[in-house]
Amino acid sequence: MSFDLHRPSSLAEAVALAGLFGPGARFIAGGTDVVIQINRGKIAPAHLIDISLLPGLAGIAATAEGYAIGPLTTYRTIERHAAFQGPLSALVEAAAVVGGHQVRNIATVGGNIVNASPAADFVPPLLTLDAVLDIAGPQGDRTVALRDFITGPGKTSLGAGELVTAIRFARLAANSATAFFKEGRRKAMEISVVCVAASLTLDASGTRCVSARLAVGAAGPTALRPERAEASLAGQAAGLTSFRDAGRLAAEASSPISDVRASADHRRHLVAVLVERALTRCAERIAGARP
Amino acid sequence: MSRRILNVVINGERHELLIEPHWTLLQVLRGQIGMMGTKENCLEAECGVCTVLLEGKAVNSCILLAGQVEGRAITTIEGLGDPEHLHPLQAAFIEHGAVQCGYCIPGMILSAKSFLDENPGRQPTRQEIREALAGTLCRCTGYGKIVDAVAAAAQRMAGKEPTP
Repeated sequence: MSFDLHRPSSLAEAVALAGLFGPGARFIAGGTDVVIQINRGKIAPAHLIDISLLPGLAGIAATAEGYAIGPLTTYRTIERHAAFQGPLSALVEAAAVVGGHQVRNIATVGGNIVNASPAADFVPPLLTLDAVLDIAGPQGDRTVALRDFITGPGKTSLGAGELVTAIRFARLAANSATAFFKEGRRKAMEISVVCVAASLTLDASGTRCVSARLAVGAAGPTALRPERAEASLAGQAAGLTSFRDAGRLAAEASSPISDVRASADHRRHLVAVLVERALTRCAERIAGARP
Repeated sequence: MSRRILNVVINGERHELLIEPHWTLLQVLRGQIGMMGTKENCLEAECGVCTVLLEGKAVNSCILLAGQVEGRAITTIEGLGDPEHLHPLQAAFIEHGAVQCGYCIPGMILSAKSFLDENPGRQPTRQEIREALAGTLCRCTGYGKIVDAVAAAAQRMAGKEPTP
């Protein structure tokens, strides 16, 4: 196993190198997935293009519509970001369960997205925020919705030489909150058996659901948005009955496998429980934030 | 696949080394420099015994390509203190009997230092300490005393308790 390591200092140079080396090249940032995959013999790139020096791709910016997260932003940075501690706290909750501190200090959000693991913890919260990705590449720039970007386990619509340059999402409406729940076999350092994110908006009285967005990870080939479950909540009284119905519909929408971590039946059960729990937590948070 | 020069600052000292592109920082520390304080075990960032500080932040040296730390500052356990001048974390681990076999301890101490340095002067809760150390495994099951030691060191580092 060996490769050449290239360390471009600009985005243009990185894209040009990727174009030059073609399919034998891989981008690397924190390396917490790429190096392990090389060591396991899953990938054998002849060229690694280190993008960790590229300027302007790390950090979180407030924009006119909401937020733009640079792909080189680490999980520890997300966890500690002041603006995500309120209604967007699902981002903090998901970031906080990716590996241990040592991984979160160096692993990047962009890397986790393009790695496209069905169990990636940070993807469901971004799906509930309708996140979009800005992508640069040899054919120019494009923008794609995250839900269209991940196409299967380890598969994305990323073309040869393309790089994610930003992850963007809009601010939440008033009377909204988010929540993230993960079930693993132990509390830390665990790949999700199932994880669930919810984003809930209530009406001005705080009693009726205006809209809900749900995302389920590790219960299908990609993280999924259970649309019937989401639609079932619109106009309903916020509470146990409507939240439990949404959980049941989300479980029906999921297509989990049985593997070493859990059976498909157990995963489906967890989807129902965690969706109900996440919606309940959102409602509690909205109530708690009311003046 | 050609060898390349790596310039890196380890424990405050500049090193110029000839490395293979696929070598990890752990391989360079142990194999090239001969610093054996950083341990080798799972090689997949699961166990934390290879933890070092990269610009002050704990990272797993077993999956960090050495070529990616060009020009940067690394701290290993050898750089933290010596028998005459123990770091408060090292002193607290000894005082609290937090060390059994010792294999995980360099990683434990560096993980704890990275965490405590994030919020200087603030006393973390025991739960926060446990979460901070979750990426570092002790198979002697000694976590209780390790958490005691980190809590005591945090107090001492915040200046709330005099160093004995």
